[in-house]
Amino acid sequence: MGSNRTGWLLLTPTLVILGVFGILPFIYVLWVAFHQWNAFGANPYMIYNGADNFRRLVFDTEFLESIWFTFQFGFFAVVSEIVLGYFLAQFLMRDFPGKAVFRTLHTLPLIVAPIVVGSVWRLMMTPSIGIIPYFLDAWFGYQLNIGSNAGAAFVVTVIMDIWHWTPLVTLTLLAAIVALPKDPFEQAQIDGANRWQIFWHITLPMIRPAILATVFIRLMDALRTVDEIWMLTGGGPGSATRYIGLHIWKVVFPKTDYGYGSAISVIVLYLTLVLCWLLYVGLVAPRNGRRT
Amino acid sequence: MAEVTIRDIVKRYGEVEIIHGVNVDIRDGEFVVLVGPSGCGKSTLLRMIAGLEEISGGEMRIGGRIVNTVPPKDRDIAMVFQSYALYPHKTVAENMGFSLKIKGASKAEIDAKVRQAASVLDLEKLLDRYPRQLSGGQRQRVAMGRAIVRDPQVFLFDEPLSNLDAKLRVAMRVEIKELHQRLKTTTIYVTHDQIEAMTMADKIVVMKDGYVEQIGAPLELYDKPNNVFVAGFIGSPSMNFIQGRIRSEGGAQRFVSDHGTVLPVRPLPVEDGHPVIYGVRPEHIALGAEGVTVRVAVVEPTGAETQLFSRAGEDVIDALLRDRVDVRAGDTVHFVIDPGRVHIFDAQTKRRLT
Ligand SMILES: Nc1ncnc2c1ncn2[C@@H]1O[C@H](COP(=O)(O)OP(=O)(O)OP(=O)(O)O)[C@@H](O)[C@H]1O
Ligand SMILES: [Mg+2]
Repeated sequence: MGSNRTGWLLLTPTLVILGVFGILPFIYVLWVAFHQWNAFGANPYMIYNGADNFRRLVFDTEFLESIWFTFQFGFFAVVSEIVLGYFLAQFLMRDFPGKAVFRTLHTLPLIVAPIVVGSVWRLMMTPSIGIIPYFLDAWFGYQLNIGSNAGAAFVVTVIMDIWHWTPLVTLTLLAAIVALPKDPFEQAQIDGANRWQIFWHITLPMIRPAILATVFIRLMDALRTVDEIWMLTGGGPGSATRYIGLHIWKVVFPKTDYGYGSAISVIVLYLTLVLCWLLYVGLVAPRNGRRT
Repeated sequence: MAEVTIRDIVKRYGEVEIIHGVNVDIRDGEFVVLVGPSGCGKSTLLRMIAGLEEISGGEMRIGGRIVNTVPPKDRDIAMVFQSYALYPHKTVAENMGFSLKIKGASKAEIDAKVRQAASVLDLEKLLDRYPRQLSGGQRQRVAMGRAIVRDPQVFLFDEPLSNLDAKLRVAMRVEIKELHQRLKTTTIYVTHDQIEAMTMADKIVVMKDGYVEQIGAPLELYDKPNNVFVAGFIGSPSMNFIQGRIRSEGGAQRFVSDHGTVLPVRPLPVEDGHPVIYGVRPEHIALGAEGVTVRVAVVEPTGAETQLFSRAGEDVIDALLRDRVDVRAGDTVHFVIDPGRVHIFDAQTKRRLT
C-alpha cells in the first residue's frame, strides 16, 4: 500500500499539469459549445442554447467546405510523406559517403517552428520576390501565384507540409526497418521472391504497425495545422486553403463567436476520432484473421 | 536434381579469411553431411551455396552451371535455417505455401502440398497458427515443411533438428532419410550430431577452422580417419589419445607412452623412438584376464552399454563395453586392445601413419 501511495504522489505533478492544461480546457470547450457566447458582442454573457451550435454546423457551407479541403490536404500530405519517408528510410539503410551528414541535414526541418516555416515559404513563394516563382517562370514559363491560383495554393501547402514532416516519417520508418530481423528476407529470396514480392509480402506486412502509427500521428497533426498555413496563404485565395484549424481560428478570434467555434472544435475532434477508428478497423484489426 | 561442385571456395569478411579454399564434389542425388566444431564455417559454406553470402574466391557450380553471381532466387534451392527464419506475420500454412505462391501455383495445388507436408511433419492442427504461437520444435518443423513442399535442385539444411527432443529427432531423421530416398534430391546437411551424420550421410565432410579435414563415407571416416582431429570428432564416445613413442626391440614394435604405459601396435614403417599419438576407440577395448592394467575411476552403465573411465598409471583410457560387467569404481582390471583397430598418428603432423 505504501509504495502505491508513493507512486500516486510521484504522479501527482503530471496529473495536475495534465488536468489543468489538458482535461479542464477540454471540458470547458465542451461546456462552451452548448452556449451562445460572444464576449465582445452586445450581450457578453453565456447563454445556454442547447444543440443550436451543432445544428448550425450542418448547414454551414463554409464549414463543410473547410472540412473537405482539410481532408484532401491531410490525405495528399500524409500519403506522400509515407511513400517518400519509406524511400528515404530505405536509402538511409545503405552505406554511402556522407551518410551521417545527410541524415542530420535531412532532419533539420523538424526543428524549425511551424510559424517560421510558414513565413520562409511565404517569402519564397511570393511572386516577384520569391525564388520559386522566379525559377518556375525562367525554366518552364509557369507563372506561380499562390495569392490568386487556388489549385497552386493548395499544392504548395501540401508540399510545405511534406517538406516539414517527411523527416519524421523517415525516422520512424527507419527505426522500424532497422529493427527487422534479417532471416525472413533471406528465406524469401530462397523461396524465389523478387524484390517487389519481398516488399509486398514481407517488408510491408512487417513494418505495417509502424506505418499505421505514423499515419495516425501525421494525420491528426495535419488535420489541425494552423500556423504554417496561416503564415503561407492566410487560408486563401478565397477559402481554398482555409483548413479547419484556420477556420476555427477565424470564427473564434476575428468574429469572437466562442460558442460556435467551440462546437466546431468538438465536431472536428469527433471526426478525427471517427477517421482514426475507420483506419483502425479497416487496416489494423483484420490483421490477425487475414489470409492473403 | 543436380550435382554441386565446390572449387577452391574462399570466404573473406574484410581482412579476415573464414574459409580457405574448400573443395567438395557432390554427386547428383547424394546426401552429404557437413560436420565440424562450432564456428568452423559450416553455415557460411551452406549460405554461399544458397547464394546468401558472396563468394570471395573460387567457383561454385550447381547442375553444371556456375552460380557465383546468381542470386538465391534463381538457384532453385530450398534451405532450412539454423534460426528457422519463419515469416512472423504469416500462418504456418502461409509460411509453408509461400514459395509455391510466388511460383504462381494454384490455390488447390498449394493447399494439397501444404497439407501433405503438414501430415508428414505432424503439423496439421497448427496450420492456422502464427509462429509466435509455436514452440521451438514446432517452428523447426514448419521450417522443414517450407523446404519439403518444394521440389528444388538442392536441399540445404542447417542443423534442422537441433531443437527437437530425442524422440522427435529420431522420427524426423527417419523422415528426412525417407524423403531423400523417395525424391533423390541432392542434399547438404549441417549437423553437430554424430548419429545424424553417421546414419544419414552418403558422404561426410569434416571441417575445422575453414578447412576441409577429410571427406568420405561414414564408415570410412570411422575406420580410417586421416588425422587426429577427424579421429576425435567422428565416433562417440570420443577416441582415446595417448602421447608417446614407438619402440622396436628385436623386430617387435610396441608403443610406450610418455608416462610409461605399454600398448600393442601393428607393424609400422617408423624408426625406433618416433613420437606418435596412439588412438583407440573405447568400443574397441575389451576386458580380459591379462593385458593393460588399469584402475577404474568411474563406471557409467546406460543399460545397453557400460562405459568405464579408467587410468593406466597417468594415462587416461576409457572403454565402452557392450555387456553388463561387474566392475566397480576403484577396481583394477585388464584391458585387451586389438592392435588391428589401433590408430597411430604422427605426433608432429597429427596425420595418420598407415
Ligand atoms: N559477418 C561476419 N563477419 C565476420 N566473421 C563472421 C561473420 N559471420 C560469421 N563469421 C565468422 O565465420 C566463422 C564461421 O561461422 P559459421 O556461422 O559458418 O560457423 P558454423 O560452423 O556454422 O558454427 P555453428 O556450428 O556454431 O553454427 C565464425 O568464426 C564466425 O565468427
Ligand atoms: Mg552454423
